[in-house]
Amino acid sequence: MSITDVTFVAQAVESAPEEAIEGRGQWALTWRRLRSDRVAMASIGVIVFVMLAAIFAPLVAALLHHGEYQSFTNAGTNAFGQPVGPGVHGFPIGTDFLGRDLLVRVMYGARISLEVGIFTTLAAAILGTSIGLIAGYFGGWVDNILARFIDAALAFPLIVLSLALAAVFHPNLAIVLGVITFFSWAGISRVVRGQTLSLKEKEYIEAARSLGAGPWRIMFIDILPNVLGPVLVLSTLFIPTAVSFEATLSYLGIGVPPPAPSWGNILSEAQQHISSWWYVVFPAAALLITTLAFNLLGDGFRDAMDPRTERLLAGSKAGRRKGRRMALAADAATSEAS
Amino acid sequence: MTRPTVDDFPSEADPDGDILIRADRVTKHFPVYGTGIVRRAAAQVQAVDGVSLTIRRGQTVGLVGETGCGKSTLARCIAGLIPVTSGKVCFEGRDITNLSRRKMQPYRREIQMIFQDPYGSLNPRRRVGAIIGDPYAVHKTATGSQRKKSVQELMERVGLNPEHYNRFPAEFSGGQRQRIGVARALALRPKLIICDEPVSALDVSIQAQVLNLLADLQADFGLSYLFIAHDLEVVRHVSETVTVMYLGRVAETGQGDQVYGHPRHPYTAALLSAAPAADPDAAADRQRLILTGDVPSPINPPSGCRFHPRCPKAQDLCTTAEPALESKAGDPSAHRTACHFPVEAGENLAREARRDSS
Repeated sequence: MSITDVTFVAQAVESAPEEAIEGRGQWALTWRRLRSDRVAMASIGVIVFVMLAAIFAPLVAALLHHGEYQSFTNAGTNAFGQPVGPGVHGFPIGTDFLGRDLLVRVMYGARISLEVGIFTTLAAAILGTSIGLIAGYFGGWVDNILARFIDAALAFPLIVLSLALAAVFHPNLAIVLGVITFFSWAGISRVVRGQTLSLKEKEYIEAARSLGAGPWRIMFIDILPNVLGPVLVLSTLFIPTAVSFEATLSYLGIGVPPPAPSWGNILSEAQQHISSWWYVVFPAAALLITTLAFNLLGDGFRDAMDPRTERLLAGSKAGRRKGRRMALAADAATSEAS
Repeated sequence: MTRPTVDDFPSEADPDGDILIRADRVTKHFPVYGTGIVRRAAAQVQAVDGVSLTIRRGQTVGLVGETGCGKSTLARCIAGLIPVTSGKVCFEGRDITNLSRRKMQPYRREIQMIFQDPYGSLNPRRRVGAIIGDPYAVHKTATGSQRKKSVQELMERVGLNPEHYNRFPAEFSGGQRQRIGVARALALRPKLIICDEPVSALDVSIQAQVLNLLADLQADFGLSYLFIAHDLEVVRHVSETVTVMYLGRVAETGQGDQVYGHPRHPYTAALLSAAPAADPDAAADRQRLILTGDVPSPINPPSGCRFHPRCPKAQDLCTTAEPALESKAGDPSAHRTACHFPVEAGENLAREARRDSS
């Protein structure tokens, strides 16, 4: 019997009506898992809130008639020239040592923090992914040279470099962005390089080569989609690092220079006025909540990306509750029918 | 499938331009690096060692041999995916050996591959439409809606639902995935498709479907196949010419019915006797020729005939002199065997093997 004689059976099976299942990609599945993760969803909520605060800072400033740099030497300070507390003279969370509205300044500070966090992370992700892809795909001496650069960037003392740059040029936002980017691409590069090393041995890469695809096409069309998951997780986790780095540099006076409001330099000023609790608590809380939210969101992404943490159906409390609700609904339906 | 009757390689002329691929003494050695500080090749894995092969238009050439004998390496050399160490590969009479990627580009359109692993050969993060449309994108032959139309025609041609254009490979079964691989290979209307164990990963009923599909496509598009497999029955079914490889060399080559009906190389005879028979009664009557020992390391292959440590007929000559690949007495000129002491008709190798070992 020739093996092609068995065809008819199998064809009957294959011509059976296709079940109408909607095609779900990696991102759709990730989003579904993420949606059932309450912590991650709450983090997204917090991040959106902080973003709205940053976006609407000028609006709030206009409504309160309190400019970002405007000192209210009479209403904003008490008889001893100290900041006034929350609610006093129409300052919702009090004022700073120059009698400026703390709320407006913290909201403007969110702009700087988010700008720094997002721009440096984007730059680092693009740079790091490209360099990692190139090092991993080409290998050989290209990889050797790039890998040394990665090691060097990871080993460099950040604060020392920032101090040196701040000493040579005046402290400014461009230096902050540059320094943070310079130190952050390497970690992403290293991960992408490792992934690329293993992915380039896959048969579909060979298939692409046999079609005549060039190295750049293979790197950015075939390999890149496969490394985006880890890059997204790393990037999300990197945003809070960048935000706190900026705060650190500004606190040390080598970041965003006053009078521009940054959470770091507000805290730096506040430490001279430690008895005015609101002066420390609100900017610090803003910093803490923002970094925490990004961190938790990153963890959520990591869990949602990893197919081994199957949160969609089992494990999570939300999933179990949903299951119970559905079972109850089904019970109700059957009892109604009977 | 057409059946060419003459095959008098390697010295033949090609008056009618009938020869699509000619691989001439192709050798591929992979360096093995030592652990020293200075990176230098400590040894060479002799994956393919002086193998010649001819593929004619519309022909299917079967390439068999056990794992590690160099079948896939030879295929990749012919496809230009890895550079050859020495030897020559010609496509329609033009030398395409070790061309740069850019110069190879026009030939890539003519030579496509189907891969063994239907799971590994499709990018899990890309949609099927993009995967099948890749050849058009790389060669810039169709764009936009035209590309989508071509891709959907291809999907229909290989028996996939064109509406599944936007699905991911993970949503298909093994057989369907292999059809996607076939569609991708077919996209540029190549002249040769190298099938690297295209059905090894599929179960038997699906194998049959894919083989039938390949046969249909061959009839429709006048394709040639280089068909690699370790399943002898599959190769017998699809190919008119069969080449048996052992440890990087050709052991025997010839028309399928010749090689299967009258194997002259003891290795071919052993392979055939090891293949499971569909009919249990016939299987019971058969004499199995069981080879002893393992395949020697291709880093340090045996001297003389590479098969001699495991051959039931080996004699002193086999350890020193390398047998030429030539037509043996009584065989057609196309049936060539690399053996000093070819198997005669009616000879019982199994008995010899037993006598040897006792």
